[in-house]
Amino acid sequence: MAVARERLSPDEILERVERVLDDKITASRLNFGQADVTCEPDRLVDVVTALRDHEDTRTIFFTFLSAIDRSTFGNEESEGRGELEVLVHLYSPELVFHVNVHVPLPMDSPTCASISGVFRGAEWHERETHEMFGIAFEGHPGLTNLYLPEDFEGRPLLKSFRLPGRFVKDWPGAKDPEEAAGGGRG
Amino acid sequence: MAVTEDRGLADTNIDGVRDSSDVAAEVSSGKLMTEEMILNVGPQHPATHGVFRLLATIDGEVLVDADPIIGYMHRGYEKLVEARDYRQITNLVSRMDWLSGINNEIPLHIALETLMEIEVPPRAQYLRVAMLEMNRIINHLMFFASFGAELGAITPAFYAFREREDIQFALEMATGGRMHFGFFRPGGLKEDVPRGFFAQALKGVRQVIDRLPDYENLLIGNEIFKQRTVNVGVLPTDVAYNYGVSGPIARGSDITFDVRKDEPYLVYDQFDFDVCSAPHGDCFDRFWVLLHEVVESAKIVEQAIEGMPSGPIMGKVPRVVQAPEGEVYVRTENSLGELGMYLVSDGDRRPYRLKIRTPSYNNVSALPYVLKNTFVADMIAILGSFFFVLGDIDR
Repeated sequence: MAVARERLSPDEILERVERVLDDKITASRLNFGQADVTCEPDRLVDVVTALRDHEDTRTIFFTFLSAIDRSTFGNEESEGRGELEVLVHLYSPELVFHVNVHVPLPMDSPTCASISGVFRGAEWHERETHEMFGIAFEGHPGLTNLYLPEDFEGRPLLKSFRLPGRFVKDWPGAKDPEEAAGGGRG
Repeated sequence: MAVTEDRGLADTNIDGVRDSSDVAAEVSSGKLMTEEMILNVGPQHPATHGVFRLLATIDGEVLVDADPIIGYMHRGYEKLVEARDYRQITNLVSRMDWLSGINNEIPLHIALETLMEIEVPPRAQYLRVAMLEMNRIINHLMFFASFGAELGAITPAFYAFREREDIQFALEMATGGRMHFGFFRPGGLKEDVPRGFFAQALKGVRQVIDRLPDYENLLIGNEIFKQRTVNVGVLPTDVAYNYGVSGPIARGSDITFDVRKDEPYLVYDQFDFDVCSAPHGDCFDRFWVLLHEVVESAKIVEQAIEGMPSGPIMGKVPRVVQAPEGEVYVRTENSLGELGMYLVSDGDRRPYRLKIRTPSYNNVSALPYVLKNTFVADMIAILGSFFFVLGDIDR
């Protein structure tokens, strides 16, 4: 399929995404030329379906789904600090633009709708995010571990999970002794 | 550029020989009484390029279901990078896809340079492109060798390794490494290339351009090769998009999708090269794309070396590499598809979070779809034509 590629300006991209998603999202902005939108967990399926099927966006390429634990971001006042967040990245090969969908979730029993019905490729990504962050994806056909053994305890990519090596050995890259003894961030 | 080769097969249709879908239909309608059996392929199997296990449910000769089981090599890079500074991460990420080490380093550096607003001097950009493409040639020749060997043709492996060596030697001259180069730095390169590098690199790529037609005849023109690959393991275009399949595998399914052309990074927009794609989505087309990309990469290396500007190889970089608060998604065309990194920084010398989106991961997740209702005998051809590296899946 030889696709004719139009080039959109960043403002056009944001305008289109906002128009297609309308009231499904709570916030939107531009970040390095990519559209960044925020939505509620129960609207995620609507958002990705609309982005994929609407002829003005056509984000048919599924890039990735993951999560970010923002609980220790920067300092207390940092704008980026928050709780958990699911991140879905979609790409439109015909219109050459990216959309990042951010879904903020609470730290206690985080639950999000599964998008594996919209993008089959999300199935593995959701299994990985489930085992690494403990996020439950409702409607997923089988949330078993992808990488970790079944009896593994803990959610490795949460900031509260510390690398065992950092307890016994100082961080060699630290500038000052306090930082080294603190074991760095890991 | 599209397939021009004659895909036609000699007439081997013998009465009574049915294809896999006929057999599957008879089995499901209850006409044939069979019993399902679970066949375990791997984790140690030569066709899996690493420790990869395939749990195959077979019914007679037909694969009813295939479930890839991964994680035997999971090293937890996404956690490790949070405890290391950017200089250390360069060497860590190069170990993901070990066949294209230097290609793994580039998205991290572009992400850092974007956040830190560092300008990379032209010579460094040209050298980066030349090295990335040389690495791509090495990678593709490796898969050319292994795919042939998996289908029973051992000769391509000897030729491919001979051709790889000259390019490998050029990279070794500059970096000292053969697999994990660790040559890029935020803002440029570790050092300038030594005298004789350009001559050695040109010798390598010109040799590949000269000899590639012979290799094509060796496999693509081979009747046995065609019998085993044409119309085997078809991946339709929409399914490829739905799974996020990229790289040569996606381009073998009629997708003209190449980050180097669509969103040129570094100085890719200054070179003249074609995106190879083929319409049928079978093993043959995936291999055809892979082989022809070698020539395109060789063309880029030639152009980059011919137009190599002089000047510094390092931009103005602060003494401590520390990305300011912000987040950015950078994607590049790795040898096997889209390698993207989502970098979240809170102003530290370590990333706050680095999501690594590797090509093989998404590509292999489409395997169950492709393997369903194929013959057991075709399984190795299909696995081989998916050109994956386990380290890239289990990062």
